[in-house]
Amino acid sequence: MVAVLIDGLVLGLQFGMLGVGLTLVYGLGGVVNLAHGQMAVVAAMVAARLMDRGTATALAVAAGILSVVALGVVIDRTLMQPVYRERSEHRVLLGLLLMLGVGFIIDGVLEWRYPIEALSLRITGGPVEVFGVAIRRGSIVASAVIGVVGLALILFFRYTTFGRATRSVIEDEEGARLCGINPGAVRTVIFGLSGGLAGIVAMTQAMTSPVVSTAGVGLTIFALIVAVVGGLGSTSGAFLAGIILGLVNTLSAFYIGTFVSSIILLLAAASTILLRPEGLLRRA
Amino acid sequence: MSEPLLAVEGLSAGYLGEDVIHDIDLTVATGEVVCVIGSNGAGKTTMLRSMCGLLPATAGSVRFDGVDLRRLPSHRVMRSGIVYVPAERHLFPGMTVAENLALGSYPKRPDPAQLEIVYRTFPRLQERLGQNAGTLSGGEQQMLAVGRALMAEPSLLILDEPTTGLAPVLAQEAYGALSELREGGLTVLVAEQQVPLALELSDRGYVLDHGRIALTGPSSELATDPEVRKAYLGI
Repeated sequence: MVAVLIDGLVLGLQFGMLGVGLTLVYGLGGVVNLAHGQMAVVAAMVAARLMDRGTATALAVAAGILSVVALGVVIDRTLMQPVYRERSEHRVLLGLLLMLGVGFIIDGVLEWRYPIEALSLRITGGPVEVFGVAIRRGSIVASAVIGVVGLALILFFRYTTFGRATRSVIEDEEGARLCGINPGAVRTVIFGLSGGLAGIVAMTQAMTSPVVSTAGVGLTIFALIVAVVGGLGSTSGAFLAGIILGLVNTLSAFYIGTFVSSIILLLAAASTILLRPEGLLRRA
Repeated sequence: MSEPLLAVEGLSAGYLGEDVIHDIDLTVATGEVVCVIGSNGAGKTTMLRSMCGLLPATAGSVRFDGVDLRRLPSHRVMRSGIVYVPAERHLFPGMTVAENLALGSYPKRPDPAQLEIVYRTFPRLQERLGQNAGTLSGGEQQMLAVGRALMAEPSLLILDEPTTGLAPVLAQEAYGALSELREGGLTVLVAEQQVPLALELSDRGYVLDHGRIALTGPSSELATDPEVRKAYLGI
């Protein structure tokens, strides 16, 4: 039982970080990045290809993450520019459709070129005993990585000048402009950061189970559910939602079955929209 | 005579291809307080927004401190020494008063001496530093909007209807704070419907009517002008 809970927590932290990446991009520019999971998989595939060719693991992981940071920046600077010129619903719909297209393209290319590629990062060493339960070392490292990155993110948004500027654009774009902040530049940086976070999630997943080239759609859906439950635009909300949904997912998969767990996840998301439309942590 | 701090010449601007303001000429010299008065819909906001690059101008020039502002995007204008406070304020409601003030000095870190000036002008803000901006009263929000603008240490503060949504007593109070800032040497351009308050505060004024400058002169003269008295002072 405790082991299942801990598995759920590890998964939840990863969900949370996926949701944060999605929620930031949405909050800043109204773009629902439906290729978010696919970007994570791109990072994994870049790392896997490099490791196949004998690149050192650490280097391959770094290159994988940086490649999706670059991908995020390029998408923002090119495809998303016409989106940001639109307003309200038009912006959301255009952004959503374009990113759906990007997701299709990534999925298509991966399925065509690397149908059986997968990334596994083996963390050596036996299980570690926590609260009397043996936990895989990979799970511990994965949680530690997400925990450190998550904490760094929270501190970044609360205390740094650029982090505050990012929040100000989410709160009121015109107000940010009045303070001398360039919302376009903030969006570009954060789209890159969001890509990087997706990449980090892919690497931590690979520490416990292989990340296959077709995993993208599933990850996108999880990210979307987490972002909706946490409240679009809220970082800590996304983390909280991720942890709750990770636990729900793992517990229901363990006691009932994997198929049912996705239905329960969607039910959880739908009831949040009905009961707390502003997200878990938002005041109405 | 040297060039004024702000020199607007022949400025026209509007929405959807239709000009709302036409051929505006206006200057503000360093140390001056200048007001633009006019009724609702006269084009005051359009004029201020087009000066700051928030709305593209269709003709004319805006020179500030020797720089042609029409070539700059609005966020660059706000870093050049002008700060614009719109009537809707555009605060960051989910962030604290302290964070709102800090963002005013972006990209620099807030200067403690400047914070001191803001606290002295608006002691209420200092009492509410940890509170979210969205929970402030209307009057406090207006103080925060001006306070945030001051954090940029502007050489020209542009205010659009600072009394919007304020009860008469609070409007008086807001103008009290502005006259304190004026004593401190701040250069101000203020657009206002509350004509008596604006004329009392300012050195010079412009009367905007149907998108054109109808009249200009020292505020004391405008206050005794029969046309102005009839149209805006209700006398």
